[in-house]
Amino acid sequence: MELSNISVTGLIVLIVACLLVIALMVVNAIVMVYAERKGAGFIQRRPGPYEVGPWGILQPVVDSMKLLGKQIFVPSNVDFFLFFAAPVLAFFPVLILFLPIPFGPVLTALKVPDGIVLILAFAGFGLLANLLAGYASNNKYGILGAGRAVSQGVAYEIPMILALLAVVFQTGSMNLSEIAEAQGRWPWSWNIACQPLAFFIYLVTLVAETNRAPFDLPEGESELTAGFHTEYSGMGFALFFLAEYANMLLVSFVCATFFLGGYKGPFLDGFWWTFIKAYAVMCFIVWIRWTFPRVRFDQLLNINWKWLLPLSILNLWVTAVVLKIVGP
Amino acid sequence: MISAIWDNLKGLYSLLVGMCITARYFFAPRKTVHYPRKVVDPEDLAAYRGPLELTRGKDDESRTRCISCQMCAKGCPGNCITVVKGAEGKLPSTWLYDFSLCCLCGACVEVCPAAAIDFSHRLYLVTTTREELVMDLLADLKSRAAAGPLKPEAGAPEALEAGGGAAAAAALAEAVKSSKAAAGAAGSAVRKEG
Repeated sequence: MELSNISVTGLIVLIVACLLVIALMVVNAIVMVYAERKGAGFIQRRPGPYEVGPWGILQPVVDSMKLLGKQIFVPSNVDFFLFFAAPVLAFFPVLILFLPIPFGPVLTALKVPDGIVLILAFAGFGLLANLLAGYASNNKYGILGAGRAVSQGVAYEIPMILALLAVVFQTGSMNLSEIAEAQGRWPWSWNIACQPLAFFIYLVTLVAETNRAPFDLPEGESELTAGFHTEYSGMGFALFFLAEYANMLLVSFVCATFFLGGYKGPFLDGFWWTFIKAYAVMCFIVWIRWTFPRVRFDQLLNINWKWLLPLSILNLWVTAVVLKIVGP
Repeated sequence: MISAIWDNLKGLYSLLVGMCITARYFFAPRKTVHYPRKVVDPEDLAAYRGPLELTRGKDDESRTRCISCQMCAKGCPGNCITVVKGAEGKLPSTWLYDFSLCCLCGACVEVCPAAAIDFSHRLYLVTTTREELVMDLLADLKSRAAAGPLKPEAGAPEALEAGGGAAAAAALAEAVKSSKAAAGAAGSAVRKEG
């Protein structure tokens, strides 16, 4: 569906897609809470949750029940409107970000020509939500966490965009469907084979952009209690949590589409390959969270400005030169 | 510049090593025991330091080796030991141990000149009142001796005296080492290698 000729059927498609994306986000959060806790347990040689339901499979459901039933506590002197706008603002833009993702050859809600621009532009909203949450909650840890979130997010967005730009150069399109279509069926014909450095840079920045360990400075428990969401309880906290997992899923889908061949895979193309690849990236994120200790803030910025940024510029330059010589 | 790049490559390699370790732990068997349904294998408790117990006497197992010197009571930072010397020689008439005050620091075990105290392997100690945590260790020793003579086993605290110095210490060190290796968290391994 093109944006230029929005019709009634197009609107219905969009509404259905939004509902499906909400369902996907909630189911993803439930599955990932369980997977993360089990993964953490197994890596530390504990069983993880096992008391609630068989193998603890009902644990995330019970967790969300607990969060629903909790009192929403508002500290004194908060900026009331911003305090409640922040979790909503963290959650809802993610909805739009899923629309241009090509889950399958047909299963794409919004085939816009500049899909990746849409994603990168709206991804900044998450950052704004973190900033507002920290600022509005009248808490020193909150404001420190918000400051960290902004300086980290702004810094890591640049190498991320440059890494994705290398792939865009190569494909000659910003349309995610075309980028997925341009890749082959087998792993050696995916973009990861000809852009390994861009893939690596994207993998590092993706962890930083989603505020996950080892780059979870904005909510570093040891120094900031919970960073920007210190003062949030009940569903406010749950919305931040949901948004975090939704953001993780989004960057994993972008990773799968840009570098891992999207819906193309051995034997039979289809949406299952997109999901398998995206969830493989998610498992990787969980794996490194429980492996690496948190970096210090100066280390975090050093990694970005001294290594990732020059490397991504170099990668982009080499890509451009090779494309000029060889031709697209 | 070259050395900085080389250092960073080495750093990346150490990250890979860490990830290999956690991946290995992920697939390794779990050590956790689901307590109410299962109990810990007594062999895994060899290095466990539970509440104090009196070691058995050399000739008469129901007799304590305690000489009522009060070193343990004086050395205890929590004042949880009460020893009263009896009329008969050096033997104590009362030996009370308040586990609710004990921090399991082991100062009493270290200081005892007669090797009369040691840590027990009692893991499942549950009471509903604090008073129940005040234990009469003389009565405890008598009941244990009545239950049967000591079976010599490696790593047991009593073996320290029976086996004599070096061999028993080596056995204990072995037990400690194996339990440490089993419980070694992924984090510490990463820190060591990275």
